[in-house]
Amino acid sequence: MTPAALLLFATLAFPVGYTVYISFAEINLGTFTPDEWVGWDNYLTALEDDRFWDSLSVTGIYLVFALPLQMFLGFAIAFLINASWKGRGIVRAAFIIPMVVAPVIAGGIWRMLLDPLWGIANYVIGTVGLGPIDWLGDPYWAMTTVILIDTWRWTPFVTLIASAALLTLPRDVFEAAEIDGANWWTMLWRITLPLLVPMIAATFVVRWLGAVKMFDIALAATHGGPGRATTVVNLFIYEEAFRSLKFAESAAMSLIILVVTMVLTGIFLRGTKMLEERH
Amino acid sequence: MTDSIRKPRSVGRRAVLASLAAMPAAVINRAEAQQGGGFGTAEKPIQLRMIANSAFSVPWQNVMVPEFNKKFPHIKVQIDGLPYNEQLAKIMLDITGDKPTYDLYAIDDPWVPQVAETKQLLELKKDAKTWTAADYDWDDFNPAPLAASEWKGGQYGVPLRCNMLLRFYNKTHYQKAGLPEPDINQTWREFIAQAPKLVQDVKGTGGVNAWAIATYFTRDSLTPTIWQAILNAHGAELIDAQGKPGFNNPTGVKALQTHIDLLQWAPPGAKAHGFTESLQAFRQGQVANMFQWGSVYKGTAVDPGATTLKPNEVGIMVMPVGSNSPGIMRSGTHRGIWNGCVSRKSPNQQAAWAMLQWLSSKEGEYFHSSVVGAFPARKSTLSRPPAEAWQAPVFKTLQHSYEIAAAGRMWRPRSAKSDQAQTILADETARAFNGDVKVAEALASAASKIERLRL
Amino acid sequence: MSATTTRSGTHRRRAAILRQFRIWSGVVACVLFLLPIAWMLITSIKQQRDIFTTPPKIIFAPTLDTYVAYLTNNDLPERMLNTLIVAGGAGVISIVAGAMAGYALARVKLRGATTIGVLILLSRGVPPIALAVPMFLVARAMGLLDKHITLILAYCTFLIPYVMWLMRGFFKALPEELEEAAKIDGCTRFGAFFRIIVPISLPGLLSTLIFSIILAWEELLFALVLTNRAASTVPVVISGIAGDTVNGANWGALTAVGTMTVIPVVIFALLVQKWLIQGLADGATKG
Repeated sequence: MTPAALLLFATLAFPVGYTVYISFAEINLGTFTPDEWVGWDNYLTALEDDRFWDSLSVTGIYLVFALPLQMFLGFAIAFLINASWKGRGIVRAAFIIPMVVAPVIAGGIWRMLLDPLWGIANYVIGTVGLGPIDWLGDPYWAMTTVILIDTWRWTPFVTLIASAALLTLPRDVFEAAEIDGANWWTMLWRITLPLLVPMIAATFVVRWLGAVKMFDIALAATHGGPGRATTVVNLFIYEEAFRSLKFAESAAMSLIILVVTMVLTGIFLRGTKMLEERH
Repeated sequence: MTDSIRKPRSVGRRAVLASLAAMPAAVINRAEAQQGGGFGTAEKPIQLRMIANSAFSVPWQNVMVPEFNKKFPHIKVQIDGLPYNEQLAKIMLDITGDKPTYDLYAIDDPWVPQVAETKQLLELKKDAKTWTAADYDWDDFNPAPLAASEWKGGQYGVPLRCNMLLRFYNKTHYQKAGLPEPDINQTWREFIAQAPKLVQDVKGTGGVNAWAIATYFTRDSLTPTIWQAILNAHGAELIDAQGKPGFNNPTGVKALQTHIDLLQWAPPGAKAHGFTESLQAFRQGQVANMFQWGSVYKGTAVDPGATTLKPNEVGIMVMPVGSNSPGIMRSGTHRGIWNGCVSRKSPNQQAAWAMLQWLSSKEGEYFHSSVVGAFPARKSTLSRPPAEAWQAPVFKTLQHSYEIAAAGRMWRPRSAKSDQAQTILADETARAFNGDVKVAEALASAASKIERLRL
Repeated sequence: MSATTTRSGTHRRRAAILRQFRIWSGVVACVLFLLPIAWMLITSIKQQRDIFTTPPKIIFAPTLDTYVAYLTNNDLPERMLNTLIVAGGAGVISIVAGAMAGYALARVKLRGATTIGVLILLSRGVPPIALAVPMFLVARAMGLLDKHITLILAYCTFLIPYVMWLMRGFFKALPEELEEAAKIDGCTRFGAFFRIIVPISLPGLLSTLIFSIILAWEELLFALVLTNRAASTVPVVISGIAGDTVNGANWGALTAVGTMTVIPVVIFALLVQKWLIQGLADGATKG
């Protein structure tokens, strides 16, 4: 662990320190050093900004729907594609492709497919008598679209890790259970899931930390709109930092997000520990 | 555009003829070139690096630099392209260092004040006067594009690539709807009155397959430029000379409301459409009108690989005239100029300025527009017989739009906090479009936030 | 006697049906996930005028112009190489450092270890947007701008915590008897780790490696801020095409470049497939 800790400390100590430092200052864009100490002003500005609060609740909605969906689909698909047959290798390799496509391209291709004017999606659902749906222009559908694209992109990650996890399960336990005449449902609940708890937890935490930071898909697919319907908090921070060059304010907002993320991650870790100890 | 990354296989015949016409100049140039135009030597060439936008960095590197090197063979220029969204941040980070990597920057219209405020840009009219060629004609520039790189009385750049927000229209659609071809005096009221008739069946398939308008409606920092053009056409200013919002009033409400109303006659899904989508709808012959940046003209009317339309089908002019308001009424447009600027910390400022002078000179600008298709800023280039036939109507419209823009100050807020103001406008515009708030509330909220910025 | 035979017969038949069901629904899920990719491929060989048609065009005159243009008249090949170096380097370093840390976290019973492990994980909570500018300032101060190693280190900072946490999960799932047996055979802790644990957790290690490489492969923000040209990667080009301010996004070019960036990673995944499914005791699972 020492090499990892040292490497991280060396590369992150200054950037994180700098972020904390400028979050209490008014930054001079001529030198990128503080001009003037403003105390908690940047934090107050962020907390008074309705855009910040709106983006927090948008992030919350996205996380609540996207994460469980991706975890469930990921493990379910891993279970399916782990059946041993000749084509298994190819299916597994093909399954990682959605992850590899750059977010801006992924967002754009989905836009193309979903656009009410030239997209193929509304044709398809039209044949079964549904739609037309304004996937990107209606606030609820736009959020659905972002969750859909994100799930398409990141379920393969859960599948990738989950299928490796399923493979590392000790075989003898299952053989013993089978001899005892347990059916697969019992085996799933009594043996597979408990054994998988550390991996489910690890995958969830990694996906959670990734999803909190998501902004590229929202930027590419909906530009955060309509209105503010899909402006997740990191998209807002990104716009403040890279469009408006408000680096000090965005540092303050980033640190607020960091604290919230830390608290929630702490709760997840504690939950994981309890689950691990129970089994 | 694929062609934007290709080296020109053949320079247009007209361009060749034009350069033949410029023979005497070329002869002098050759003599100069033997001394390297005064910069560097074959053994010790001067190395310049430039930040440009990736939309045009490759043709600049592959086409403009070799042409420049014919005159200045010992100045090597490397141009790095950056994506638009991060380009300003990257320029700011570079220019504020002790030893910046770059000597030259291509800076977009609204960014000039912000970068100039760092005091790291070379002032070109006064400070670089001794380095400026005697025949470099400042007065030949149209005032609007030249003003894009002006800040607090200093000239910190020269226009290299111009763009204006214009109106494209599909003549076939107007014919099919039984409407006369729109003219330059059409008012917003007339435009809106005609719009329902332009939602029609142009393909003869029985249903509606063509709509009246495509433009920016999505959440985007350029979406407010559309209603700003309407506002300006009614004689109002977005931000007044004192830096105060000039849109939080009935004219502003009317402008934004008009923009929102356009959605009624826009194709399905238009609420999420911006630059690329509106452009594609127009190129596919699905809309009668498009408010769009002029730079897309060639790909829209001429290039058969990119568009389904023919040159004689596509009309171009400035946006409609303000209607029924007291005060001034004029057409609308909006300015977007890429400026070339020199870093004060560059060890080769003089060579860097020589490069910009050549790019923006009468000769360089004409070559740029003939071979790469860039839009010029000089009156002389715009009035000269163009190298390509398609340029004739476009250049006429450009000249017109420059004059309107200058008269009505049709550009984004001139301030070091321009992008902050524009981000606020985009956010509030998006909320009004989505019906989250009433138009007047959105504008009031934007105005109070912008006032707090103290532009 | 006969009753037992029937029962196990039904059991076997049921298992066979389940297997068929898993295979086919797995294939269907895969096809569904690949539909947008197919659309990307189709779009990449269209001319621009054929891309945004109503209704979408399935029959059109295909062209490879975009591919040729980007492979010959652009610095895409060099950027591809940079991406390969950076993603490969960051992937390998973080898998080595991260796996060791993960092992320590899973097995070493030290109070401080857990705290450090959790801290490492929490370092991922900082939005990367906040880190980009200070990282640029550090790199500039050290004269490390536009170098591969800078980007590799930057990527390690966000990959190591992920690798560590994922590998901790994999190691935790292994029975502790394995190492105990090794220790009895006279192995050191290090020896046990490399000789027993690593081979057994190969599927996990490789999956995590693939994930790390992919994350580094498509990263944009740090690549933009920390490099200019010499070490610049493909995502920067992609972002540039998508944000074309002159002609609008050229989706023919975007999808062609997108397709070209996907290919190397897929080839890599196919090459390591054999080891991806060779798990514990060569084990197919009964899950």
